[in-house]
Amino acid sequence: MAYPTNPIYKLLKNPDGVVDCVQTQIGDSEPYKLTVIPFMEDNKDYQDYLAWVAEGNTAEAAD
Amino acid sequence: MTVINPSSISGITSITMPSGDGNVLTIHTNDGVERFRIDSSGNVKVGSACTISQDGDVFFTGVTTATTYAGSGANLTNLPAANLTGTLPAISGANLTGIAATDNVRTGILDVAGVSTFRNTMNVGAAVTISESGIEASGIGITVANINGTQIGGRRNFIINGAMQVAQRGTSFATVNNEYTLDRFRIQGSHNGAVTVTQSTTSPDGFSKSFKIDVTTADTSIASSQYSQLTYKVEAQDLQNLAYGTSAAKTISVSFYVRSNVTGTYTFAIQQSDNSGKQVSQTYTIDSADTWERKTFTFAGDTSGVINDDNGKGFDIYWNFAIGSAYTTGTSRAAWTANADADFAAGHTANLLSSTSNEFYLTGVQLEVGSQATDFEHRSHGEELRLCHRYYYIFADARDDGSTGQLATGFAYHAGQAEGTIHYPDMRTAPSLVQATGTNYYGAYNNGSNATWNSFSWYQPSPRVGLLYQGSTSGLTQGQGYRLQFANDNAYIHLDAEL
Repeated sequence: MAYPTNPIYKLLKNPDGVVDCVQTQIGDSEPYKLTVIPFMEDNKDYQDYLAWVAEGNTAEAAD
Repeated sequence: MTVINPSSISGITSITMPSGDGNVLTIHTNDGVERFRIDSSGNVKVGSACTISQDGDVFFTGVTTATTYAGSGANLTNLPAANLTGTLPAISGANLTGIAATDNVRTGILDVAGVSTFRNTMNVGAAVTISESGIEASGIGITVANINGTQIGGRRNFIINGAMQVAQRGTSFATVNNEYTLDRFRIQGSHNGAVTVTQSTTSPDGFSKSFKIDVTTADTSIASSQYSQLTYKVEAQDLQNLAYGTSAAKTISVSFYVRSNVTGTYTFAIQQSDNSGKQVSQTYTIDSADTWERKTFTFAGDTSGVINDDNGKGFDIYWNFAIGSAYTTGTSRAAWTANADADFAAGHTANLLSSTSNEFYLTGVQLEVGSQATDFEHRSHGEELRLCHRYYYIFADARDDGSTGQLATGFAYHAGQAEGTIHYPDMRTAPSLVQATGTNYYGAYNNGSNATWNSFSWYQPSPRVGLLYQGSTSGLTQGQGYRLQFANDNAYIHLDAEL
């Protein structure tokens, strides 16, 4: 899939339609490394995401 | 000579000897033997064995018997040991000499107020030997409250994977930065160079692995705010026995083995961010190129900096490889003091990034309670792996399990959604789902219908269970069971709950 490089995060909806994860992907070709990050405050990846948002960035909206 | 021979003489009050040779008084027994004499000097002699001189000296060659003696005994010599009995007075033994090699000092209690130095091996019975090399105790146990101020047995080392045995994410990381590499160890930096990290088999005796960083793009001029470093984070609740923030805060020791072709001064630091934001930092030198060297540091406990009892960061530990002047111009801190950038790497001068020929190895990392860095606590690969699983867990990996490796028993929630619950060992927090993604990497299979897709989503993960699902596929039969499995040999499902 064409993955956005800027922003580097994309929000995800769960099957209930609630946005509760964000994903980020790295790599130049397959296989890409895709990380799905739950909105858990003590998850390091989520903390990194919040720090990125605090810098004024905005993730791509969920589908 | 005048002879007076009565049987008794009385009333004589003075006898005066004549002058000259006669100036002596002698008394003889009837056999003519002289028994008593007062000579011209006033000395009194009784026979030949007793002389009392005018100046007060008394000489006996026979046995002297008296009820008591008084006065100085300074010149008494050759006192027979068998005749010295009773209680010794409180006297100095400073001039005791010639104590024989065995059996001559015996006491029930040896009470020494000052420092005792035994110049040779000391034996306690037959089973304990104390020598300059250590203490040997054969055939008996040793009962002590602690060693080095802490528990005696295993689990001295707070560091997980300190021997660099576990590498779940891989054993080689090309052009890596700001990522975890070998388990629990994260490479990070901001500089113009580039590095690779590998799990190396170059290691000191007793170790089989090490962390190795190779410089692939040099940065010969590190800017003021730039840095390259390795970090390790200790979970806060695992540090509670340090009693930081109390008067009982414990001293810690850190030790590790390093090796590099770049000799010089490097820095090591620990930061503690809970409540107080404090740090300690120290320099160390790599003295000989391409030679393993063990470095040790000891830091007194922090009586004011409480470490929270939670699953967050307790310690951030840093090994700096290259670092700019913004962090080096201050003062090294052996005591916990408030974070200050200038002190963080004070004294650091080495620049590992200066050449693509440069490399740096690290292993045997140990953090323990006490003022003495002890030998590295080796743990089995299995133990270390289980400890690492709290922070990173390979749920399944097609590179090891095969391109059709199984993931979970799933079902079709509807025709376009496959899902399956997975369970894993308790992790530090609800983990991120880390997966390889590519065209049709994953699939759902049963005897009637199949579907493939590129990646999974992640629903309601907890520290021990989560739901893999794919809601944008098609061709499934609602309600039917499916095998969720890999469909590409590069696919993997990992879980990440690192600090």
